[in-house]
Amino acid sequence: MDKKLVIPGEFLSDDINRADEGTYVEDGKVYSSVFGIASLKNRIKVVSLSGKYIPRPGDMIVGIITEVSFSNWIVDIRSPYEGLLHISEFPRRIENTDMSKYLNVGDSIMALVADVDPTMKVELTLNDQRLRQIKEGRIIEVTPSKVPRLIGRSGSMIAMLKNETRCSIFVGQNGRILLTGKDKDLDLAVKAILKIERESHISGLTDRMTRFLKEEKGKQGKEPEKEVEKEEIKTEEHIEEEKIAVEHEKVEEEKSGGILDELLGNGK
Amino acid sequence: MSKPEKLIENGIRLDGRKPDELRPIKIKVGVLNRADGSCYFEFGGNKVIAAVYGPREVHPRHQQKSTSAVVRYRYNMASFSVEERKRPGPDRRSIEVSKVSREALEPVIFEEYFPRSAIDIFVEVLQADAGTRTAGINAASIALADAGIPMKSLVSACAVGKVDDTLVLDLNKDEDNYGQADMPIAMTPDGKITLLQMDGHLTNEEFKEGLEMAKRGCVAISEMQKAALVEKYSSQVEGDVLE
Amino acid sequence: MSLSSEIMAELHKDYIYNLMIKGEREDGRAFDQYREIQIDTNVIEKAEGSARVKLGDTHVVVGVKIQPGTPFPDTPDQGVIITNLELIPLASPVFESGPPREDAIELARVVDRGIRESGAIDLSKLCVTAGEKVWMVFIDVHVLDDGGNIMDAAALGSIAALLTAKLPAKRFDLGEDSPVPIRDVPVAITAVEIGGSIMLDPSLNEQRIAGTKLTVISNQKGALSGMQKSGVHPLTTEQINYIVDIAIEKAKELRQKFLEI
Repeated sequence: MDKKLVIPGEFLSDDINRADEGTYVEDGKVYSSVFGIASLKNRIKVVSLSGKYIPRPGDMIVGIITEVSFSNWIVDIRSPYEGLLHISEFPRRIENTDMSKYLNVGDSIMALVADVDPTMKVELTLNDQRLRQIKEGRIIEVTPSKVPRLIGRSGSMIAMLKNETRCSIFVGQNGRILLTGKDKDLDLAVKAILKIERESHISGLTDRMTRFLKEEKGKQGKEPEKEVEKEEIKTEEHIEEEKIAVEHEKVEEEKSGGILDELLGNGK
Repeated sequence: MSKPEKLIENGIRLDGRKPDELRPIKIKVGVLNRADGSCYFEFGGNKVIAAVYGPREVHPRHQQKSTSAVVRYRYNMASFSVEERKRPGPDRRSIEVSKVSREALEPVIFEEYFPRSAIDIFVEVLQADAGTRTAGINAASIALADAGIPMKSLVSACAVGKVDDTLVLDLNKDEDNYGQADMPIAMTPDGKITLLQMDGHLTNEEFKEGLEMAKRGCVAISEMQKAALVEKYSSQVEGDVLE
Repeated sequence: MSLSSEIMAELHKDYIYNLMIKGEREDGRAFDQYREIQIDTNVIEKAEGSARVKLGDTHVVVGVKIQPGTPFPDTPDQGVIITNLELIPLASPVFESGPPREDAIELARVVDRGIRESGAIDLSKLCVTAGEKVWMVFIDVHVLDDGGNIMDAAALGSIAALLTAKLPAKRFDLGEDSPVPIRDVPVAITAVEIGGSIMLDPSLNEQRIAGTKLTVISNQKGALSGMQKSGVHPLTTEQINYIVDIAIEKAKELRQKFLEI
């Protein structure tokens, strides 16, 4: 197997030339530096299962304005470091006194990380036509290290999600995701993304998500006064699949709920 | 409680353990929602919970380090964790324990990855039963990993002591109260000692033998820490967990 | 789901607000519905009484310590209750180390008020020698995880811990251990007002948006034992009357389900 769950300090390889992210080298050996999933196929790297977003130039992110200062907007980017959006990085020329009219505390933006210096001063920009202030939609958060899984190999996962949920989805590298669409569709997309976040480390994710979306849409179709036609053409096969899905979900719920129950040993 | 006549009889301790045996350990990873990483650790009658926040912004600012993260560790005992109610808030003991515990963990944390940030470790002792600082370090080390903090390795901790002129691993309350020596240590899996304290009376030979005994204890704990972390993810779905 | 930022995106506030207009809540509950409650008692063997309460994502542990002490001069034959609550930094990224601040003190005092004013503990039975020695009952609330509405979780945990607590007479050579004399079971119910609607048991996000909380503590007879309005926004008489009505009903329900032994 070329992937495995590892803890910090776990020995990974003797080949230090292949050492990559999430690893460190000591005495000619490669060790894991984080708790995560190690892949040993080509490069040796470990993807952490948790952790904060560390900004890099070129990242597209979703930020929230936390402060309007004299010539900068201070932006929460879900990182140990705040982002700075200078007035000159706003797409139009505006006066310092007008800054909060355009972007105020609590407003959300899609922004680009323009620069990160060695002291981790993070400069953002809105000067890019893909970027804008976010005026509508829903924002949810996932662990930043899981963003690549959410996007999928060459964007396959996110493309499927968009297609199946009819939502527009913008995935910030900082794990903040902007979704726009109809309420029902948004609910489904949110559910799907949270499922990906929970199960990103379990094999067969793409197949599972395809099935999940199909089943969920089946359920929606069954709700009263909605697309009666679909109801009629449902085959036995569909119904069978649904049953399995429901059972499967129950099992998972029971398992995930169990962690806290053991805290303090329940007085046993 | 008064001093028992004997703490060891026929090579068996009052709680039924052999001299080199640890008390039962129970570990749960990721027990808190708000924290970035967390761990509940039971060590005999000790019940501690550790939370890690960070890396995050440093407040107050003057604590910032320009080239690395600042690691902060707060060890705190709940008022109800001990026989006689403890006044809430820090005291000289908890401040010392916090300091040496932080120093036990700092060597494994890649602090230089996160300049100008803080990594905050909070350990709450909900019930104390001798060995709270070692339980806290064990829990904190797991909580750090759970928070995704890059580390060289986990850190494991336990104490060795002397009762009735015999070296014993992992003192219980009576042994701690009435024993002749107590020596908590923390260690990395490759044998580097990151915490060492000792009080009481040990001969040079006893110290050296005791240290080896405590190291063996740490190795055993290290395996349990690893198993607990793996458990957090493997318990979610049966079968082939990884891709 | 709560967004990690201390500051809440206006967009997310709007989302919750719009749901509210449709009669819905972010986590799918009805307006008068509590999150899942789990209470376990005797979780701390070292304490004379203890309880762990999980109210949704909110998680508190309450320990009751009891020891002999000197009564107050004006109540020489009455036991003493001392309630303490700390918002320790383990429980939330916004809690800071240091002595309790106004929020923590307010919470502790409201918990205390409910227990004291409902007469939950028969203080006259806590007298050992009038004017000299009485039992001191320390209720310490330890908040481990703040998922909103710490108030109700703390109050539930306190009374649950008291219900299982023992006077440790033996340890102090004062006779045999006996249960703490409990006469009533107060329950605190907290409501928030968001855009004119009233919701019980606010989640963290709802609490952030709400202008004001109202806590209503009622006793076994359905009478009021304590109240606290917390927050800057005013409430109307109608809103308050409505909250009091549903709080008393809800308190009955919770008492029956979780606190009747």
